[in-house]
Amino acid sequence: MSIRRLPSDLINRIAAGEVVERPASALKELVENALDAGAANVTVRIASGGIEKVEVVDDGHGMSPADMALALERHATSKLPDAHIENVSSFGFRGEALPSIASVSQFTLESRVRGEEGWQIIVDHGERVKEGPAALPPGTRIRVEQIFAKVPARRKFLRTPRSEYQACLDVMRRLAMARSDVGFVFEHDGRRVIEVQPQSAPQRVASLLTPELARHGLGIDTARGEMRMTGVVSLPTFNRGMGDQQYLFVNKRPVKDRLLVGALRGAYRDLLPRDRHPIAALFLDLPTDAVDINVHPAKTEVRFHDAAGVRGLIVGGLRHALEEAGHLSAAREQHAQPAAWQVEPVGAQAPSSEASPVRPFGEVRDAPAAPLPPSQSSVWESQSTFAAPPQARAEPAEAPTPDAERYPLGAARGQVSATYIVAEASDGLVIVDQHAAHERLVLERMRRAVKGERVMSQPLLIPEPVEMDEADCDRLEEAAGELAKLGLEIERFGPATMLVRAVPAPLGDRVKAPALLSDLAAELAELGTALALRDRLDEVAGTIACHGSVRAGRVLSVPEMNSLLREMEVTPHSGSCNHGRPTWVKLAHDDIEKLFGRK
Amino acid sequence: MKATIERAVLLKSLGHVQSVVERRNTIPILSNVLLEASEEGSLRLMATDLDLQVDESVSAEVSQAGATTVPAHTFFDIVRKLPEGSQVELSAADGKMQVNAGRARFNLQTLPRDDFPVIAEGDLPTRFELPAATLRQIIDKTRFAISNEETRYYLMGIFLHVADDKLKAAATDGHRLARVTVEKPEGADGMPDIIIPKKCVGELRKLLDEVEGTVEVSLSGSKVRFGLGAAVLTSKLIDGTFPDYNRVIPTANDKLLRIDPKSFMAGVDRVATIASEKTRAVKMAVDSDKVTLSVTSPENGVAVEEVPASYGSDGLEIGFNARYLMDILHEIEGDTVEVHLADAAAPTLLRESDDSPALYVLMPMRV
Repeated sequence: MSIRRLPSDLINRIAAGEVVERPASALKELVENALDAGAANVTVRIASGGIEKVEVVDDGHGMSPADMALALERHATSKLPDAHIENVSSFGFRGEALPSIASVSQFTLESRVRGEEGWQIIVDHGERVKEGPAALPPGTRIRVEQIFAKVPARRKFLRTPRSEYQACLDVMRRLAMARSDVGFVFEHDGRRVIEVQPQSAPQRVASLLTPELARHGLGIDTARGEMRMTGVVSLPTFNRGMGDQQYLFVNKRPVKDRLLVGALRGAYRDLLPRDRHPIAALFLDLPTDAVDINVHPAKTEVRFHDAAGVRGLIVGGLRHALEEAGHLSAAREQHAQPAAWQVEPVGAQAPSSEASPVRPFGEVRDAPAAPLPPSQSSVWESQSTFAAPPQARAEPAEAPTPDAERYPLGAARGQVSATYIVAEASDGLVIVDQHAAHERLVLERMRRAVKGERVMSQPLLIPEPVEMDEADCDRLEEAAGELAKLGLEIERFGPATMLVRAVPAPLGDRVKAPALLSDLAAELAELGTALALRDRLDEVAGTIACHGSVRAGRVLSVPEMNSLLREMEVTPHSGSCNHGRPTWVKLAHDDIEKLFGRK
Repeated sequence: MKATIERAVLLKSLGHVQSVVERRNTIPILSNVLLEASEEGSLRLMATDLDLQVDESVSAEVSQAGATTVPAHTFFDIVRKLPEGSQVELSAADGKMQVNAGRARFNLQTLPRDDFPVIAEGDLPTRFELPAATLRQIIDKTRFAISNEETRYYLMGIFLHVADDKLKAAATDGHRLARVTVEKPEGADGMPDIIIPKKCVGELRKLLDEVEGTVEVSLSGSKVRFGLGAAVLTSKLIDGTFPDYNRVIPTANDKLLRIDPKSFMAGVDRVATIASEKTRAVKMAVDSDKVTLSVTSPENGVAVEEVPASYGSDGLEIGFNARYLMDILHEIEGDTVEVHLADAAAPTLLRESDDSPALYVLMPMRV
């Protein structure tokens, strides 16, 4: 068979395979076009997860009829004014999206430049079927219907409308976060899902993810050289079970990059357990020539010229911000929810906020039941105690309590079950878990003491060879310098073997070199950084800290409690224990008032 | 089965066998000790964990021969708490064993004797006798260096082999090495190189405390048996290759330090007090007439102690893990120890003198 050039509509369909794989990717291209056109408001309506219809309306600068015709040609674009692909500042630049989408759907393009007439072009699966004047306000309106109707191979691989909708929603969230200066409306099957006005970036992130982030988030603004990072991250105690709410924007472009996952793990190391994840939306601004966007047609991946520098900026910036945040802790909302509190059973057992003297019978059952009195224990286990009245009382000398107003964590008022410190602050009641808090203080003190010192290393008399994958060996060999600073000295010993020459002394003789090395290699492959070793060293430090700290059950005097509170206020990370649980919670005055139905 | 035995005799014997029995077992019979009374007036006790087995016979009044198995730890605790000097009557029948002593009576559940596993010794071609004192010395001077790391299972025991017409025992955990060289006993020629597992070493050492005279050692490439008078200990060996440890014994360490091990150890112990539990690195500055020991703890401060010594080479600074150093010094019996140094990063050799049987190699730390 002789070689021939493919017809252009086939070329477009091939290109569509790269750019448009599902409705969400078409939606992404269209919204990015709208943003590139300088829109101040973007309205998106989709039906059946975008399979039936995707409509994007913007109030940008619009296109003239001649431009519209050209825009539907391949590699035709108004972006890239000077043909410098290294310097891309707009979302798009390839000039592929519109013809690709138009080749796999019923495509209606309407546009109007301000002060001129509107124009309309309808394309049916790559063929122009209608062209003529249209009535619309200035801007552009694009409608994509029956996507992939004639491409059964694609159609077959579409998921349910529900999951296609989820993908569209994710795209909209990312773009709306990326451009907080633009108003967005997103409707699915006539239901308004997102409606945001132009606002600041942190506000936008909070309104799109969870409103609580506004209270339990940290604003980030840090710069290094020509790079700048802004954004918002959650406090360690405000975490999630999934790492899905972590967003990275490079020059306002939403990207997915595993560098972010690794950098966040690094920044939240020892503040969060491994299975909890922070919420983060980070905006990186760096010179356009320091990043390569033209990696993939969908442009969700980027390459940094200085990946290590970017990671350093993220980890360093976040670490610094988290340290500044010091003792802050996200007291979970439910702590203050009246339903979680027991109420003195007056008549019906009901939460006080809803308590009303008369309530329908059925409702009472829904109210949380007060705990039953401890059940009768069997005779075998009961141990009677002497209940003699005290013969003498020793009243501890009460130290003058400091002025509660002056300190964020307030003045200690007492101890509950020899485990929790109750303190009064100017704006509410503070409850501190004494063991968790003191454990963190001891750990931070130990860490300050050894800061900057090299981890001591115990060279092996008989070096230990560890066999592993060749690719893993390559990665470990590359990271050998970094690991040596932590006391682990390894070197290449044949193509698929590493030789352990020295191990970190604090790990003692419990180092299991094969397990440690394979953990490290896996992390290098997955996250680009090796945290496992540091984690293990921290674990040792954590155990020492745990043994060296005040246990639950120890009775503390008021001066002791106050001293603990004061130290927490000045110690970084004291808001969460080593395992990411809060060390203290606050019950604000408002919440207390709610409990008693005063508000 | 019916037998009567004096409490003290039973207790001592039970003490020997019961420590072989693991506290928790997935195979119930392994929790039990085998009791076998024979017409000749002896009671045999036996316990095993499938890798190690101790078999001991004591004299008893047997009125009816027979055998049964009872939970080892429970039986041991019972016998331990019986009044001193009492006679213990054992009688087993119908899945139960009655223990009577004085006014106390116990009825223990038993498991059938036929289910009790016995290690098949097979052929043990190499046989030799070793004085108990020599075996004690071998174990005491090497066992501290046995590794605990299961990934290098072949280091979890004492390596015993014949070389240069001597019997050599070595143990290492990859950080330090201990070796004892003794005269080759008669019959040890052609003996295979063996690694004796740590648990066996521990049990053997306990039994050796009560043995005078010699111990009969019989072994093959996979099993070893120690005959210690009334008791016989049989163990499987570690199936692995011990590394060629001779390569790590330095031969060209020319800087010789002579020091009193007692004051050296006491000094190391004192200065190490200040270090955190985990990284006890002690720094040694070696001068012509003294060693200055120092430990710096970022949390607690600094400790320094000078120990008199004699040294003829250039001054040197070197660091060691204090625990490793003390483990070795603890085994030095004489009043001087020779420390052969090369530089701060090279393996260091310690021994009493050129002709002392024991030799130790220790890797310095980077401090």
